[in-house]
Amino acid sequence: MRYLVLLVCAIIRVTVASGQTYLIRGANIHTMAGPDIQNGSVLIRDGRIAGVGHNLAAPKDAKLIDARGLQVYPGMIDAGTEIGLVEVNAVRETEDTDELGRYNPQLVALTAVNPSSEHIPVTRVNGITTVATMPEGQLISGQVSLIHLDGWTTRDMGIKARAALHIRMPFIQTEGRRVFVPDNESGGGAEPGAGFANAKRDFDKQMSDLNDFFESARRYKLARDTKAPDFKPDLRLEAMVPVIEGAEPVLVTAIREREIRDAIAFADKQRVKIILCEAPEAWKVAKEIKAHDIPVILGPVLALPLDEDDPYDRAFTTAADLDKAGIRFAFATLTGSASLSSRNLPYQAAQAVAFGLPHDDALKALTRNAAEIWGIGNQAGTIEEGKFADIIVTDGDPLETRTRIHDLFINGKLVDLNNRQKDLYDKYINRP
Amino acid sequence: MKLRFRPTLILAAIITASTAADMAAQGPGAYVLRDARVVIVSGPVIEHGTVVVRDGLIEAVGSSVAIPADAWVIDCKGLTVYPGLIDALSTWGLSGAAAAPPAQGRGRGAAGPPTGPPSRGPEDRPSNTSYLKAADEISPTAPAIEMARNAGFTTAVVFPNQNIFSGQGSVIDLAGERAGQMVVADSVGQCVILKTNGFRSFPGSLMGTIAYIRQIYLDAEHYTVAKSVYEKHPQGLQRPQYDRTLEGVIMSPRVLLPAERQVEVLRMLALARELKLNAVLYGGHEAWKAVNELKASNTPVLVSLRWPQRMADNDPALQDPLRVLEFRDKAPSSPGILARAGVKFAFYSDNAGAPRELLRNAKKAIDAGLPPDDAIRAMTLSPAEIFGVADRLGSIDKGKIANLVVADGDLFQDRVKIKYVFVDGAKFEPLPEAPPPGRAGRGAIPSAAEEQN
Repeated sequence: MRYLVLLVCAIIRVTVASGQTYLIRGANIHTMAGPDIQNGSVLIRDGRIAGVGHNLAAPKDAKLIDARGLQVYPGMIDAGTEIGLVEVNAVRETEDTDELGRYNPQLVALTAVNPSSEHIPVTRVNGITTVATMPEGQLISGQVSLIHLDGWTTRDMGIKARAALHIRMPFIQTEGRRVFVPDNESGGGAEPGAGFANAKRDFDKQMSDLNDFFESARRYKLARDTKAPDFKPDLRLEAMVPVIEGAEPVLVTAIREREIRDAIAFADKQRVKIILCEAPEAWKVAKEIKAHDIPVILGPVLALPLDEDDPYDRAFTTAADLDKAGIRFAFATLTGSASLSSRNLPYQAAQAVAFGLPHDDALKALTRNAAEIWGIGNQAGTIEEGKFADIIVTDGDPLETRTRIHDLFINGKLVDLNNRQKDLYDKYINRP
Repeated sequence: MKLRFRPTLILAAIITASTAADMAAQGPGAYVLRDARVVIVSGPVIEHGTVVVRDGLIEAVGSSVAIPADAWVIDCKGLTVYPGLIDALSTWGLSGAAAAPPAQGRGRGAAGPPTGPPSRGPEDRPSNTSYLKAADEISPTAPAIEMARNAGFTTAVVFPNQNIFSGQGSVIDLAGERAGQMVVADSVGQCVILKTNGFRSFPGSLMGTIAYIRQIYLDAEHYTVAKSVYEKHPQGLQRPQYDRTLEGVIMSPRVLLPAERQVEVLRMLALARELKLNAVLYGGHEAWKAVNELKASNTPVLVSLRWPQRMADNDPALQDPLRVLEFRDKAPSSPGILARAGVKFAFYSDNAGAPRELLRNAKKAIDAGLPPDDAIRAMTLSPAEIFGVADRLGSIDKGKIANLVVADGDLFQDRVKIKYVFVDGAKFEPLPEAPPPGRAGRGAIPSAAEEQN
């Protein structure tokens, strides 16, 4: 039986996830695609949204969900995590985010995602239906994959295996005072305290190597396209082709202002599309980011300031700054402990709202913007006909911690809200 | 008794001087420095004064002093005579390995790889060479000695500085052919460094190090009592085990404790109070924040002349936090505040660069509010007092050791030239054109010091 299910999954992928048809009725629907629909209905069929509006007729086979007095939103998207790649940070065997070496464009996060990860049910219970899960290496880390937070296999879960190429922007490191310091490998950055001149030389070398790598990818593509006689397939360079063709964006992690400027210059030079990632100092470069129309996947809002003399709310206000500058952005919990708390994504956004980000823009950043930045705007991020039925039914604003999720649909499937944290809660609350 | 050795000493000085490459030193029995501005430090300046030097000692000083017939008279019109400068905590003259830069609160505090098996506790006496004496480690040919002398320094209080209990400091004069001739006082204090012993060896933390220091002093007290009891009635008593690490601590008349920041000053004062130590603090750049506590406990401070500064090769995009900027900005005003409060302090070189830079660094304290008289005192009489040798050094008074500097003006002026330096009554003349600092060979500071800058 199970074999059969798997086999069917493999053949028709996501659509099979839900044979059931649902009709949600009487809800206040926040479509994110236009005005809210009061007392509206959403029809879900074959994993997709089959209709949105007032007074939709209930098909015979539809299971009715009475949502009077409840709110309906698109499922939220964590635009950068390590979900599925890390189970326990401190246990090496359960950590699968990075590979040796500095040039690994051929790695695909999806291949390593663990569908049985305990983090998945824990995360989705707060209304997060989709995440971008990313390899985290030293330079070119690999391919970021977009996944649904439900499925028996990675094929069930995968929305886009190669959503972007993740690059950690090289940087000049003279001190240990960094928020993100990648593990050092020989040639992978000067020793802290080595002095600016040394660090700069090291950086220049890294940049020139990186540019050379892009150049060799161009030559590879040329050789492949012209069927050159000595052409030899190479997975690494093959993986670069969509990037240099401009079909696939580069997700560039850049922390400090200088790194962000370097990233923009790099994108111009290599004529590639980039998405800035983490970018806590993006507010310093807002004008240039806007001028280049570069989207930003903003790292954790609930974070400490980078510098000692920064105001305490520096990280809280960055989202509002980007919003005011008209920059497209999404929220991400990214790596480390924040990533394993991906479930807190809505509260990260809520903190930004408390510090100046308009509420509607925060919701948009969590849903529609994230989908658009990740290139799945036509499939996710809003409640519109034809899109994935990734939908949450709540008793209030999802940015409020007291709000409860009543129903959660991923790919049109009504997903079990039970999870490890709830199990443990139930276990210990009953302890005599 | 001591005087009987003086002729030998002077003779040695003559030999040294005549073999020195770019110094000219002659040493007849007596010199007269005539018609000079004499800054005696122990009293008011004598505007037209005469200093008579004989057999390595100051024979007379005053405005109307009879000139001995046998003396070599040097006309010092327009020149100023100061007592020889003293570096209150130095490594000048220490040979090779003993002369590494001190590992105090500058981010390099952690020890290098520990040698031998890891220690398990205070009973293993980790990082303890309290028995070492700087006087025994002096190399008279160390290039730093000549460089320091050319800059007007005649004396240094040299300390070993490799261990938590580093060893005993010695007051040395900066000229001599053999180390023994140079030593003025062989054991003037114990230098303590707050460092840890790595991850695998005790002590591995600041609290461990401080607990260790307390245990050592408790052990030393017990050791002293046990030894005296045993000496009186050896029969029938188990003999106390000989412990050189405690001997060194007991032998030291005072202890130097590192204290740069306010919190360190207060921590060290508490430790000194608890253990009833005769303490001298060194570092002192933020001592101005604890000036009342220093005054109340009557604790002297050695202030480092290596003012905190941004590293030259720093990333221009990295901004220093206000806390660091304030520390840097206020450090040179620390001596002035100590002086006003009546806290005794002296300057020390702390590998701040070539010795001639030290006067320029001291000038920064003057610019930040330290009266020039107090600045001179902090490099002459005050260090002599702090180390208990003020009866021999630190001022131009009859009977003191003839360590003098003769300059063509105020020592803290930018273009001041040092004309003569007298060490133990022997005259040295720095060459008129000193080699520029940093040139290979002469003028280059030891590389360890350069790195520390």
